[in-house]
Amino acid sequence: MSIIEVKDLSFTYGINTPFEKKAVDDVNVCFNEGEVIGLIGHTGSGKSTFVQMLNGLIKPTSGQVLLEGKDIWEKPKEIRKIRFKVGMVFQYPEYQLFDETVYKDISFGPRNKGLNENEIDLTVRKAAKFVGLSDKLLNKSPFDLSGGEKRRAAIAGVIAMDPDVLVLDEPTAGLDPKGREVLLAQIMGYHKERKNTIFFVSHSMEDISRIADRVMVMNKGRLEMFDTPKNIFAQVEKIESMGLRVPQITKIITMLRERGYDLTDGVLTVEQAFSEVVNLLKREGVI
Amino acid sequence: MSFISVENVKFSYDEDKNYVLNGLNLKIEKGEFVALLGHNGCGKSTAAKLLNAMFIPDEGVVVVDNMITSDEKLTYEIRRNVGLVLQNPDNQLVASVIEEDVAFGPENLGVPPEEIRSRVNVALKMVDMYEYRTHAPHKLSGGQKQRVAIAGILAMKPRCIVFDEPTAMLDPNGREEVMNTIQVLKELGITVVLITHYMDEAVMADRVVVMDNGNILTAGTPREVFSQVNLLKKHSLDVPQATELCYKLSGVGLKFDKMPLNTEECVEFLEGVLK
Repeated sequence: MSIIEVKDLSFTYGINTPFEKKAVDDVNVCFNEGEVIGLIGHTGSGKSTFVQMLNGLIKPTSGQVLLEGKDIWEKPKEIRKIRFKVGMVFQYPEYQLFDETVYKDISFGPRNKGLNENEIDLTVRKAAKFVGLSDKLLNKSPFDLSGGEKRRAAIAGVIAMDPDVLVLDEPTAGLDPKGREVLLAQIMGYHKERKNTIFFVSHSMEDISRIADRVMVMNKGRLEMFDTPKNIFAQVEKIESMGLRVPQITKIITMLRERGYDLTDGVLTVEQAFSEVVNLLKREGVI
Repeated sequence: MSFISVENVKFSYDEDKNYVLNGLNLKIEKGEFVALLGHNGCGKSTAAKLLNAMFIPDEGVVVVDNMITSDEKLTYEIRRNVGLVLQNPDNQLVASVIEEDVAFGPENLGVPPEEIRSRVNVALKMVDMYEYRTHAPHKLSGGQKQRVAIAGILAMKPRCIVFDEPTAMLDPNGREEVMNTIQVLKELGITVVLITHYMDEAVMADRVVVMDNGNILTAGTPREVFSQVNLLKKHSLDVPQATELCYKLSGVGLKFDKMPLNTEECVEFLEGVLK
């Protein structure tokens, strides 16, 4: 069943001003419950505007967002309820930490949701566990944490609201390779247990190819492609024409294919490429 | 004497002497392009801020172009010579028109107006943003903003620019624009220190320095450094995917004269083997 359906969705900034700009242009798409959706596109392609329409932070100029079949703007006064169902983690969320302790910061969402103290305590600890923050850190000031820990604390604050749909806008930007690895593993672990729908906006094609079930490619406000990572990244030329890149390893295999070597297209990981190349070397009698 | 010389530097952010840098030694030659790698918290950003006297070492000395950074009388001269470009372009642009933003540095240095004009034009042309000189910065893409930030530093005629993860917030095109600009700076003879988490950027440098725990783990040409796949992985650092693939292939008996570092080298090598 589709959890979110987007119909003829458009958004224009600065209508009737000289700066009028169509940020999202007539997008139609359906997302299944429990899917991990990767969202890529160059700066200004409309990704952020699009995801902000999913939880009603931006009201569409035209078209609809249907959450479980119902238009989220049906009762504009109740739009706040939508935001508990669709959680949003912005870019650099560590700048949004504000409370005295990590515990209080994470409990802000559940408290506003109207849970009692017991429930709040349970949710906070569960959310902290999902992102790998130890109990010891909960009583610290968020400002005494390391960069990676701050990021995880901020994500825990959104997870604590237990959203059915979680939107992460460039969650790994600025983290070192290990930090990325840890965060990705935690998000995937959380997803496996909670089985909710996740939107993952990123400029890292390597990250996208590793975790997404399907990838949306946006270009100039339009939804240009929507398919599995394998099928998307097999189209190197099209991806590059939109100002994006495919993972380096995908590019290597594609170039070898273009030179006539018999390899599968849409290779996404070094492991896959390794076994492809080893098989080729064996067939050619090199090893 | 090297252009920049860091000698036995210790630095701590608190009174308890938890040293972030612990006896660091680093020499950078004039015109060199050095990439600084290491995981978060290894001390690389701290090291960068020592290079232009933002921080003064607790112990040891940093000498830039024969000027010692702990001498307060030299602070301005050092900062004019060593510019700093940071991660977030939005935090670095101050004016509402691009050419005014670029003029901010030289204005504060007391450069005469005609000369400011020509410096601004030259700097904007160098980063290929001259056509945008009368635009407002907030309308630019991330890569363009970052190039304007670089122009603002170029207008002060620095001899060295330190980049602290300048591409972390940019899309693939923006990253490429900034990396192309860095190549241009190098050709102009400007010393470049680039802190990055992207291994494909580090391979463009003349020399790669890997930091760990406040000190240098390994250093050398990109090929020397990235050939040590095991060491880097052990310290939770990455190598380019091209290098990783070839490293794995060496495990099944392929021999390498030189370790491929990028897409082209890797494809070329594999073609050579297959022929």
